[in-house]
Parts: sequence; C-alpha cells; structure tokens
Amino acid sequence: MRRVFDAQLHLLDRQVLDADGVPITAVDDLELSDVPTDTDLPRGAKAPVIESLLSGPVLGTRIFGGRPPASRWHRIPWSSIADVGIVVSLTAKGDELEVTWPERWVRDHIIARIPGGRHDPE
Amino acid sequence: VKRIFAVALGVLTAIGGFVDIGDLVTNAVVGSRFGMSLAWVVVVGVIGICVFANMSGRVAAVSGRATFEIIRERLGPRAGLANLGAGFFINLMTMTAEIGGIALALQLITGIEPLLFVPLAAFGVWIVIWRVKFSQLENATGLLGLSLIVFAVAVFLLGPDWGALGHQALAPSVPSGEQPATYWYYAIALFGAAMTPYEVFFFSSGAVEEGWKRADLGQARANVLVGFPLGGLLSLAIAACAAIVLLPQAIAVTSLSQVVLPVVQAGGTIAFCFVVVGILAATFGAALETTLSSGYTIAQYFGWSWGKFRPPAKAARFHLVMIAGLIAAMAILATGVDPILITEYSVVFSAVALPLTYIPILIIANDSEYMGADVNGRLANALGLVYLVVILIASIAAIPLMIVTGAGA
Repeated sequence: MRRVFDAQLHLLDRQVLDADGVPITAVDDLELSDVPTDTDLPRGAKAPVIESLLSGPVLGTRIFGGRPPASRWHRIPWSSIADVGIVVSLTAKGDELEVTWPERWVRDHIIARIPGGRHDPE
Repeated sequence: VKRIFAVALGVLTAIGGFVDIGDLVTNAVVGSRFGMSLAWVVVVGVIGICVFANMSGRVAAVSGRATFEIIRERLGPRAGLANLGAGFFINLMTMTAEIGGIALALQLITGIEPLLFVPLAAFGVWIVIWRVKFSQLENATGLLGLSLIVFAVAVFLLGPDWGALGHQALAPSVPSGEQPATYWYYAIALFGAAMTPYEVFFFSSGAVEEGWKRADLGQARANVLVGFPLGGLLSLAIAACAAIVLLPQAIAVTSLSQVVLPVVQAGGTIAFCFVVVGILAATFGAALETTLSSGYTIAQYFGWSWGKFRPPAKAARFHLVMIAGLIAAMAILATGVDPILITEYSVVFSAVALPLTYIPILIIANDSEYMGADVNGRLANALGLVYLVVILIASIAAIPLMIVTGAGA
C-alpha cells in the first residue's frame, strides 16, 4: 500500500518507539540523499529520498540555526523503520541502536549504580 | 462491588490530592484579608480544572500520548522549547514550594528549624519515586490528605455568622481598606492556585502510566467531576476559617502556623493532629506530582523513555532529571528563602503560564488524527473557549497587577 507523507507534518518531531514500544527519541531532523545546491537540476533528475532520521545535537541547530558536522549526526537508518503512524515504530531494539548511547551512558554510569535502580517499583 | 470501590477510591484521592501548599497558603491569605469575597474565583477555578483535566485525560487515554509529546509535535521544536522552558521553571518553583511546605509542616510538629528538614523531605520524595508504584503513591497521599476535612469541621465548630459569610460570598465586593487592584491580584493568584499547570502534565502522564483506555474514561470523568469540586470545598473551608478567626483580628497570614491557627482554636489538639497529617500528606503528594512532572515534561519533549511503570534503569534520563530537579529545589531552599513567599509567587506565575499548556490541549482535543471519533463535543468546546478567554485575561493581567500592587502588599 502506498501512502503519502508530509515530512514536516508526519515525521519531524514525532515520537520514535523501538520494537518493544520503548520511547527512543523524537525525530529531531531528517537526512536526505544528496541534492546538488546552487546548480540547476537536470531534467528528469531523481527526487531525493530520506536516508535516515536524526537525533541529538541536530535539534539545537534546527532551533537556533546552523548545521553540526556530519560526524555529530546520530542516525536511525530508514531501513529500520517498521511503521509511521502517530508514532514512528522501529524493527530494532533500542539497545542495538547507536542513537541510544546517551540513555545507555546515564543508565550504566549513574542510575543502575544506585541501589534498586534495576528493580521494578513495588 | 470492586468497581464501586475503585470509583470511591478515585474520588477520595482526587479530593485529598486537590489541595497543595499553593491552595493552603493562598486561600488562607485571601480569607484573612478579603473574607469570602473571592469565593467565586475558587468556583471558576474548579470548573476550569475540571474542563482542563478531563480534556487532557481524554487525549491521553484515547491517543496514548502525553501532553508534552503532543505540544512539540504540534507547535514545532522552537515554540515547544520555549513552552518547556517556562513550564519547567514554574514547575520547579512549585516543587520548591511543596518541599518547603513539607519542612514547614514538620516544623509545626517538632518546633525544629525547617531548613534542617529540607534534605530529609527531598530524600523522602526521591525514595518514594524511586521505589513505590504509581497507584500506591497516588492513593496513600490522597487518602491521608482527606484529613484536611478538619478545616470544614472547624468552620462548623467555630459557629460563624453564616449570614455574613454567605453575604460576602454571594454579593462579593472589595472590602474597605483594600485596593481594587489588590483584590484582582489575589483573584488571579487564587485562580492560578486552583488551576496549576503541573496538574495537567501529571494528569495526562498519569493516564499513560496507569494505561487508561477508552473504557476507563467514565471512571476518570467521575474522579474529576466529583473529586475536584469537593476538593474545591476544602479550599473554601480554608478561606472561611481564616475569614472567621483571622480577619476580625487583622492577622496577616505569613506562616503555616497562622493557616492552622483557626483549626486549633476550634478543635484543640485533636484538630491539630488532623490538620498536620493533612498538610504533610497534601504537600508530600504535590511534591511527588511536581517532581514527576519535571521528569515528564523534559523526557516527553526530547522523546526519552519515561514512566514509573518501568524500572529506573529503563528510564535513566527521566530519573536523572528528577534527581537534578530535587537537588535544585534543595539548593533554592538552602538560601533561606521563605517557602511561603515562593508559594505566593508560584501561584501567580502558574496563572501566567496557563495558556501555554491549555491552548495545545484544546487544539489536540479537536484533532481527529489523534482522537478519532472522540474529539471534543460542542459542550466541551464551548466551555473550552470560554475558559480560553478567562485564562488569557488572567495570564495577561497577572504581571502588570503584580507590579502595580507590589505583589499584593
């Protein structure tokens, strides 16, 4: 089934959930395939495609302007997306994704070290 | 029977959970200065919070999305961030006031300097959030908070001139010796105390925490529509106690001991025990709610994992935000600033910030992409629009009135 998405309306700032339904991030920005700038596009050129969802520092530059170096981009490849509805669902688990490193860092270095941090609330 | 029990429990916790330090202080201050002439504001505020909480609970139950996720989706990252900044700042102020309130209540019992209790209070809040299940924390503080009914009992024990109280409430006018600007300043403070924005963050996130579905909406509505008005009656009783005892003697409320003075005068030691338990439960409950709200708002804006239904390690940054918030609140109180003063400012700033949370909720409640067939009906939208006007007026007028009146001096 083909569906038409508006990137602004249906993708940007949407909540991303992993395969278990755990929130991972919001869609902070999108990475498109290269579009040559400052030149006229040749007739019949291919439309750009979304290569990945971005998260992290790119939110700051989206709000305040500018563009972080590509090495600072944290990507969720488009191929790992299972469904786009009122949330974006992924086929992978959160721990397997590169973008979850800040969450894993806080967990491993702070929260999990406090007694009871790994237990369910009672 | 189980179902009736669940409804009763929900209503009782809503009553006990309605009052927080802002309601306690503001109602007592207003009662001691204006008698019952601002009672109508409590009524307006209670209807407002019913409309507002009902709508945000419905949005959360139907769409499964909490308020701040939606605010960012709809307003975009920039306006969403501005909204988050204001909301978080005011929530931190309320949180500081509630933790200070716990310390003041402990001072009432022990006579020990409240600053010494601040770390204890903050640690208590943290450990409960760290370890206790959401539903239990809600129920325990709500039920214990019911002992604030002693304020209503005290009104009867004091044997007031009912005709005079009724006249003040039903034919309100600015008392002689007070400026109209001051009267309206306190009207906004009282409105802000009844409608504090954290209740909406908390209510919508709580609906997700407890996994509400469409089928639970009836019970949620009963909790709100019965519990909150009865909680509002408690607010009025606090004001009435102050109006009966403090107003004739021209005692200005500047501390928690003056808030409880009429109750003690009416019922002695037993009443004192009830009121102290009630204030402890109310401030502790609200401290939990505001602390959770600080985590909810930030985690939802950035799309992080959040919620008490997960072990802390599965929502690490959410818990880190709350720990940081508690440390910030302790640091503010450590400067020796009076928690009562923070409370008085926090309710006014709450009124200023109301449109920030209210308008997005009103928009989403009409968006069929999120709500399907459960979008707002005509009645909900009519009430919603009336309150939009009231909230905007209160929000715009709050800061100028604060400056003109010297913060109600």
